[in-house]
Amino acid sequence: MFGKHAAYIIPSYTLTVLVIAGLLLWILATYRKRKNEIAALEAKGIKRGAGGEQ
Amino acid sequence: MNDVATQKTGFWTWLTGLANPTRFMGLADRWIPWLAAITTALLALGLWMSFNAPEDYQQGATVLIMFIHVPTVWLAMFCYLVMSISALGTLVWRHPLSDVALRAAAPIGAAFTLLGLITGSLWGKPMWGAWWVWDARLTSFLVLLIIYLGIISLGRALEEPTQAAKALAITTLVGFINLPIIKFSVDWFETLHQPASVSRLAKPAMDVAFLYPLLTMALAFSFLFATLHLMNMRNEILRRRIRSLKLRAAAGER
Repeated sequence: MFGKHAAYIIPSYTLTVLVIAGLLLWILATYRKRKNEIAALEAKGIKRGAGGEQ
Repeated sequence: MNDVATQKTGFWTWLTGLANPTRFMGLADRWIPWLAAITTALLALGLWMSFNAPEDYQQGATVLIMFIHVPTVWLAMFCYLVMSISALGTLVWRHPLSDVALRAAAPIGAAFTLLGLITGSLWGKPMWGAWWVWDARLTSFLVLLIIYLGIISLGRALEEPTQAAKALAITTLVGFINLPIIKFSVDWFETLHQPASVSRLAKPAMDVAFLYPLLTMALAFSFLFATLHLMNMRNEILRRRIRSLKLRAAAGER
C-alpha cells in the first residue's frame, strides 16, 4: 500500500497508537485503582474533613 | 470599563474556585466525555484527510509520517509550556491546582516526546539515510525527554507535598531554557533537520494539500492532550485524597 516506505510508515502509526493507548489505559487503570482505594478507606470509617481538603 | 473589571473578577473567582478539589472534580467529570468525543471526531477526520493527501514529489508516501511526527513534537513542547506556566502558578500565585497540573502533565509530555523521537527516527532513515544524528535539533529534543523523566522521578522521590511542589516548579522552570533551544536550533546550528515550514511569519512553505491534514491532526492531538491531562489531574487529586485519608487514619490510631 505504501510502496517501498511501508516499513517506516506502518511502524510509525502502530507505535503511536500503542504508546497513546498504553498511556490512556494506564490513566484509566490508575483512576479505578485510586477510586477503589478511597472507597476501601471510607468503608473503614475514615472520612475526609469538612471543606474537601486535598 | 466596569464590565471589563467585572469580567476579570469573575474569571479570577472562577479560577480560585477551582482550588476546591471537589469543585474541580465535578467540572472534570463533566468536561472529559465532551473532550474525548471531540478528540475522537477530530482524529477520525485528520486521519481520513492524511490518508487521502497526495504523495509528496520528493518524499513519496513518507509524508504520512509527518502528520503524526509534527503534532507529537508540537504537543511535547506545548506540554512543557503548560508545565512551566503551572510552575509559575505554584511559585508566584500559590494556586493548589498548579502543582496538580504540573505533575499530571509530565508523563503525557514524556510520551509525546518519545513518540516525536521514534517517528522522527522512522522518517529520518528513508529521507536522510540515518536513524539518528547528534545534531542540535535531535539532541535538544532528546534532552527534553530526559528532563521529563527527571521531573517524574523527582516528583516520586519527594514525599513532603510543599517541598515537592517547590522543587518540581523550580526544576521545571530551569528546564524551560531547552524550549527556545529546540525551536531555534535549526536556525542557530548546522543541522540535517529542515527549518520551520508551518509556523513562519510569512506564508507557510507547505502546500495546502499537506497543510490542512497537518493542522487538523495538530488540533486533534491538542484535544487529546487536554483530555488526557484533565483525566490525569483527576488521578493526582485522588492520590492526594488517599494520602490525606491515610494520614487521618494514622492520626486516629495514635
